Amino acid sequence: MVTRVITIIGFAALILALFVLEFLARRKDSRIPTLGEWLGYVMRPKAGRLLILLGWLWLGWHYFSR
Amino acid sequence: MAADDVPLWPDLPPQEPSRRWRLGRLALPPRRPSRRPVNPALRKAVAGAVLIAYSWFAAGAVPFSRNALLIVLLPGAALAVIACLRPPKRIPPPDRLDLAGFSYWAVAVGALFEWEASAFKDGAPRWHPALTTLIDPALGSRPLKAAGILIWLFAGWALVRR
Repeated sequence: MVTRVITIIGFAALILALFVLEFLARRKDSRIPTLGEWLGYVMRPKAGRLLILLGWLWLGWHYFSR
Repeated sequence: MAADDVPLWPDLPPQEPSRRWRLGRLALPPRRPSRRPVNPALRKAVAGAVLIAYSWFAAGAVPFSRNALLIVLLPGAALAVIACLRPPKRIPPPDRLDLAGFSYWAVAVGALFEWEASAFKDGAPRWHPALTTLIDPALGSRPLKAAGILIWLFAGWALVRR
């Protein structure tokens, strides 16, 4: 039971870290890019765009279709 | 009949390349300005209402059914068509990325994937559940699932604009 709680806390902490990073990135003169900025950078080549959009489609299938 | 006597064609105005194949890809003709401009706020409200209705309808699909597959494939196909034929005005990406700044994201996202993968590898037992296992009960509620689908749709639109 303890390991289950640790696992859940781990997920919560990592997801919280993503929100904190986005918050920090939106501060003035921050060196950390926002989620949109680095995703936009990754999607500059067509292959990156295709991969990210396929990942989005997979997320929808994984969580809402199954 | 001397060549000088041949009447010349009048100079035609320079024609711009067909928009349908400009930039080497098929595109729809340019939008003509509407006689009655639609209020942008009204357009957004209508689009929002349609998306909320779609999310609610989609949340009612039985998992693993054909409808459940279609409710995901349909927005994917719609976004692909929009992205190819009539792409929206894009938010320009940055020219360069601060590697040190990006590394924070890489570590956090990588750790999340690793945490999920380790649970998945073990078959997501009760003592080490996967994120999917934890979220699934919440998605059993139709309003929560509809909210999730709505967020997913907005995320897809945000990606197309990038």
